[in-house]
Amino acid sequence: MPPFEIMNESLRSLTRRHFFHDCGLGLGRIGLASAFSGGFANLAGEANAALANPLAPRDTHHGAKAKRVIFLFMAGAPSQLELFDDKPKLRELDGKPIPPSVIAGQRYAFIQPDAAVLAPRFPFAKHGQCGAELSDRLPHLAKIVDDIAIVKSLKTDQFNHAPAQLFLNTGHGLPGRPAMGSWLSYGIGNEADDLPSFVVLKSGGSLSGGAAMWSSGFLPGSHAGVPFRDAGDPILHVSNPKGYDARAQRDSLDLIRKMNERELGTIGDPEIQTRIDAYEMAWRMQSAAPELMDFSDESPATIALYGAKPGDPKAAFANQCLLARRLVERGTRFVQVYHSGWDHHSQVENGVKTQALQVDQASAALVMDLKQRGLLEDTLVVWGGEFGRTPMVEASAALGRSLGRDHHPQAFTMWMAGGGIKPGITLGATDELGFHVVEDPVHIHDLHATLLHLLGIEHTKLTFRYQGRDYRLTDVHGHLVEKLLA
Amino acid sequence: MRLFPHWLLGALALVSPLLSSQEVDFQREIRPLLSDRCFKCHGFDEEMQEADLGLHTFAAATRDLGGYQAVKPGDHAASELIARLISEDPKEVMPPPKSNKPRFSPEEVALMKRWIDQGAKYEEHWSFKKPARPEVPAMGESRSDHPIDRFLDAKRVGKELPLNGPADPHTLIRRLSYDLRGLPPTMEETGVFLAEHEKNPEAAWAALIDRFLASPAYGERWARDWLDLARYSDTNGYEKDRPRSIWPYRDWVVRAFNADLPYDQFTIAQLAGDLLPNPTTDQLIATGFHRNTMLNEEGGIDPLEFRYLAMIDRVATTGSVWMGLTTGCAQCHTHKFDPITHTDFYALFALLNNADEPEIEIVDSTLTKQRQEMEKQIADLEMKAVATIDEARYQAWLADLRGKSAPWTILPPLKAKSNLPLLEIEKDHAIYASGDFTKRDVYDVILDLAPLAGKAVTALRLEVLPDPRLPANGPGAAFYEGRKGDFFLSEVSATVGGEKLTFSGASVSFGKISIGSGEAKGENVYDGDGSTGWSTATREGEAHALVLNLATPLAGAKTLDLNLLFERHFVAGLGKFRLSATTAEGAVVALPSGTPDLLAGDEASLRSAFVRIDPEHKAHQDAIAKLRKRLPDPPTTLVMKERPPQNPRPTHRHHRGEYLSPKEAVAPAVPAVFEPIPEGTPANRLGLAKWLVSDRNPLGSRVLVNRTWQVFFGRGIVHTAGDYGYQSELPSHPELLDWIAVEVAAQGWSVKKLHRLIVTSAAYRRDSCIDSIQLEKDPDNRLLARGPRFRLTGEMLRDGALASAGLLSPKMGGPSVYPPQPGSVVELAYGNDAWKTSGGEDRYRRSLYTFSKRTAPFAAYLTFDGPTGENCLPRRDRTNTPLQALTLMNDPMFHEAAEGLARLSGTGGGQDPLGSIFRRVLTRLPSEVEKQEYLAFYETQRARLASGELKADAILSADKGPVTPELAAWAMVARVLLNLNENITRG
Repeated sequence: MPPFEIMNESLRSLTRRHFFHDCGLGLGRIGLASAFSGGFANLAGEANAALANPLAPRDTHHGAKAKRVIFLFMAGAPSQLELFDDKPKLRELDGKPIPPSVIAGQRYAFIQPDAAVLAPRFPFAKHGQCGAELSDRLPHLAKIVDDIAIVKSLKTDQFNHAPAQLFLNTGHGLPGRPAMGSWLSYGIGNEADDLPSFVVLKSGGSLSGGAAMWSSGFLPGSHAGVPFRDAGDPILHVSNPKGYDARAQRDSLDLIRKMNERELGTIGDPEIQTRIDAYEMAWRMQSAAPELMDFSDESPATIALYGAKPGDPKAAFANQCLLARRLVERGTRFVQVYHSGWDHHSQVENGVKTQALQVDQASAALVMDLKQRGLLEDTLVVWGGEFGRTPMVEASAALGRSLGRDHHPQAFTMWMAGGGIKPGITLGATDELGFHVVEDPVHIHDLHATLLHLLGIEHTKLTFRYQGRDYRLTDVHGHLVEKLLA
Repeated sequence: MRLFPHWLLGALALVSPLLSSQEVDFQREIRPLLSDRCFKCHGFDEEMQEADLGLHTFAAATRDLGGYQAVKPGDHAASELIARLISEDPKEVMPPPKSNKPRFSPEEVALMKRWIDQGAKYEEHWSFKKPARPEVPAMGESRSDHPIDRFLDAKRVGKELPLNGPADPHTLIRRLSYDLRGLPPTMEETGVFLAEHEKNPEAAWAALIDRFLASPAYGERWARDWLDLARYSDTNGYEKDRPRSIWPYRDWVVRAFNADLPYDQFTIAQLAGDLLPNPTTDQLIATGFHRNTMLNEEGGIDPLEFRYLAMIDRVATTGSVWMGLTTGCAQCHTHKFDPITHTDFYALFALLNNADEPEIEIVDSTLTKQRQEMEKQIADLEMKAVATIDEARYQAWLADLRGKSAPWTILPPLKAKSNLPLLEIEKDHAIYASGDFTKRDVYDVILDLAPLAGKAVTALRLEVLPDPRLPANGPGAAFYEGRKGDFFLSEVSATVGGEKLTFSGASVSFGKISIGSGEAKGENVYDGDGSTGWSTATREGEAHALVLNLATPLAGAKTLDLNLLFERHFVAGLGKFRLSATTAEGAVVALPSGTPDLLAGDEASLRSAFVRIDPEHKAHQDAIAKLRKRLPDPPTTLVMKERPPQNPRPTHRHHRGEYLSPKEAVAPAVPAVFEPIPEGTPANRLGLAKWLVSDRNPLGSRVLVNRTWQVFFGRGIVHTAGDYGYQSELPSHPELLDWIAVEVAAQGWSVKKLHRLIVTSAAYRRDSCIDSIQLEKDPDNRLLARGPRFRLTGEMLRDGALASAGLLSPKMGGPSVYPPQPGSVVELAYGNDAWKTSGGEDRYRRSLYTFSKRTAPFAAYLTFDGPTGENCLPRRDRTNTPLQALTLMNDPMFHEAAEGLARLSGTGGGQDPLGSIFRRVLTRLPSEVEKQEYLAFYETQRARLASGELKADAILSADKGPVTPELAAWAMVARVLLNLNENITRG
């Protein structure tokens, strides 16, 4: 038996050859050679075939404009009519029924489609050089409109929260498909070797879509989103157990490592090397996590820019935005920030007011902060919810609801910034009632295709063979939205 | 359109490689190429066929295309296919560049030419042919007479792979124990086996297999894999993800494995137990298999859309589990790769589609007895109360009641219809609604006024009635989002001869709305506002009434048309109701729910009713209420129930698989590529189930065998365990697969026999060391020259740690439990259901019994690629990640086990604590070198603990026993062992 190090090296090269020979996965089509440059090996799905680190950074299909993504997911679905898409016609028709020709054949969650029209609740004004129109609930975003692209023509297939949130996260309305972040992790790997490639942060209430929104679906579990927890360890079990100091932990790891290396020597299973590497990365995560979570090295100006209050749940969204920046700085590929609380079936005016106060400043601050650090040019920021809200009012005596808006999948608004997005534009338009998209429709599949494109991935080529079929994030749909590209 | 003139093609042929005389194997060499690169556009989906050309059958490929053929048997030069494969014109070459499919290499082109020249023979795909029992090859290099070894040896001939010998007995017992029971062997079991093995290895092995197969833990271990397929979970999934009770199904699976219920019966019970003659409770429970689909309870959803999606899942799961086919592909269009048409998919859908989905109570004799005893106590209490009635108060109450009561006459319904639910008129003139409901149901009832002929009707009464067939016993049909058994009556209108009657007042016996702050007044039902109404939430399972007073008495009419509207953001139709009318004068009102009918009620029941509401009897009422609260509810479970013949559910083909695009009706049938369900067998779930385990389904036994093989060898004979179609990997040992498949059916489908057959082979018992030549030549161990080794599941790691620490509870079955995990795991899930960590024994139950929440699965299992219960999972991934390392190193659950190991091994003098921990965790003793390493580690930690640098009372819990630096240091040693690759892997 050769000395351990040599053995290890020969295993790696053997594994590499084996991988080239055997790998029938779509991942094989993306820069395989670089897949083995990473420090720690990992096994992806195959029972006994060890691959090198599946999270190692990988080449892309074409030049990437963005290297990482922060997706500010406004769960519950904010009203575009109170924030982005002013409709004078609705003010004119306030309280009158919507013309039947507009609403024929549409399904709704709660209201009858013949409900009366509800006028936008806030005044709008133009901002910046680009003259983008926003309601007065977004004063901070108003300051950076020249850095962002507002898309008023989003469309989705789903009209209930859980399916629509899953659809936006995974391209499919049912649980079981890989999330955007998982596809990216699988397609182009991670730049950090001490933090997960796909991190999930959360503020506000419960999430309808649940854990399926950051599941790796049929992709190997190593690509699943890692949710950071509010209480206890941010990453489950990232702290030493009770009674262990760093030395005791390292002593234990050293013994585990030594014994695993001995077993590798006698058994010769490459999987054992993978295990050794996984334990070492776990150790690195243990030291990286506290440093990541400690905001004391942030300047007071930065803290103030976000309105963050470390440790204060009332500033949860601002804290998470700042944490998101710290994560992408350290190489995490995809940070999903969920903020719930936008489901305004009743009293949409008050609801939007409250949520905008929690979200507007930190969202704008994130873009500003990334920009001043030179990170915005290769970090894509996306802001938006799972669908929009109806131009019609929702009211129900049984439910005690009034002056609200129901779910509206036909047309809604998102904004994006950085990472190759053309700044200072407004794309798409809706009809005079804000009911349907009439210009430059952007379906969720198109959003996904564009997002992947910005990260250097051709959406039709990033595939995974599962149950006899090559799956992709965009399924059999999706068109690149050229007009959004810088 | 011709690419090249004939003479040019002829010339090209001259430069092609010399034709080999060797026969081309269509299955292995040609079909994979065609399937991967051609069938997507030239396959079974005729609608999608490009250029009207199919290459999937001989007939299609050789069809005359107007003077030429894609494939001309015997003449590759005249075959357009070849010309296209080698064309340099991007517009002509196949596959087209935009398809992202690789071009045919020169070798592949040569192969295609040879195939055509040899006659372009098509063969049926191996998996669509019935398995025939192949000859068992002669004994080979392993010198084993076992048929499995003989087949495996035959495949290894000429491969020059070094063959491993048998594993050592420690490894063998650990391997078999995890594979058959999901647990490590105990020290005692190991001791017995080692002693027997020394005397007679074969006899010892056979005896060990018998012992493990007979262990109740066997059923628990194998149930886990089956529950992965069944997508079992204890919650409904989707947004709300509320708990459901279907654990009796899980327990049935455990029992079925332990009793070695033959796989054909196991199959039939799960798909169609309710359709068997006089089904047993077990057979009903078994139909829970397809009730494991998710239920969306989000407000506002279209319930029928999600029922449709659950059906799609049922079809796909049935295909995957019993046919090894990715039928799900044909949901949207004809399968591009396999011979499953779009219509085939919906025909299979139709076979499964004709069931209602009730919840049943499971009769448990102990519980029933308990209940009867408590009910007697309640009756006794009530009797006592009746004996102390103040006669004057009672008479006053009776008089008051008499004053308020009106005589009601039941109006027999003549006709009842609705938008969708089936309304049936029952003997007592009640109307029972069943079948499918929507968010907006409208019932139209025509009532006969004959019983009141000649009289003037002054008021109508709608009684809503409980019924055991309804969710929570009714009276409503609500089954999700709101309260089960709830209803919401939005509007009522009554017409006579087209004239709408006016109501002058309304009253209810009880009214309460669930979800929302609205009032449940009677007047709501005629205020013209659909969002207000009447509901009796919180008092399900009881009768209630609504009385509507007519503004003008109605006389002279023969019939009355009543229209009832039920409209909410969830299903809220009535399940059972009855109508009556009165001719009493004055403002008739509804009496409080539970008030006895003066005319029908006998004296005793009137007195009982009185003590239930009389404030003087508060003490009795409280005592009874307390007892009622403690009445044990029988366990319930979700089952399938075939619909009544008068209400079959039609199935349609859905364009692009979309719920909103139903097309023509489709009759139930198995896919046309297979032999049909035989005549005389009904085309329903029972017919399907019987067909799946008959020899008409060429895949049933193969899929079972392959799935089983995958468990024992880490990799199936067909690697793509959920897919045996054209796109699947060809089997590594097709003859072996077929031989066992035939054998299993011939042996009466005994699963235990199948397991014994596999584990008695020499192949199963080989050492799993990997030689460098083996690794180079056969890295995936397809040829099994070495023993299989793979990572254990998260469940096995937890069970193994608990068992080795002596903590594992042997208690079987019952509702799921909540072992400890960080509270933050469920914080991300919708709603605020905290993880109520179980105490006592339930903390240490087998992982099979851990409460499985779809939107927040138990973290430790998920980290090790455990299931979420959202989809059928034919094969788990086996990743190897840092998060797994963090779990095993730092999760308190594993620390508790480490402490347990220390306490079992480290106390008492004169023992060998290290040896004990080793034997408990790794089933073996440490080597001398290992001893030195561990003892050095132990000594370092012990010294740090003794000096106070580390705190022993932080590592150990004082409530579990003494706290000493020695014990704490042994716990640290045990933790290291639990983290070893050797423990994590079953070698």
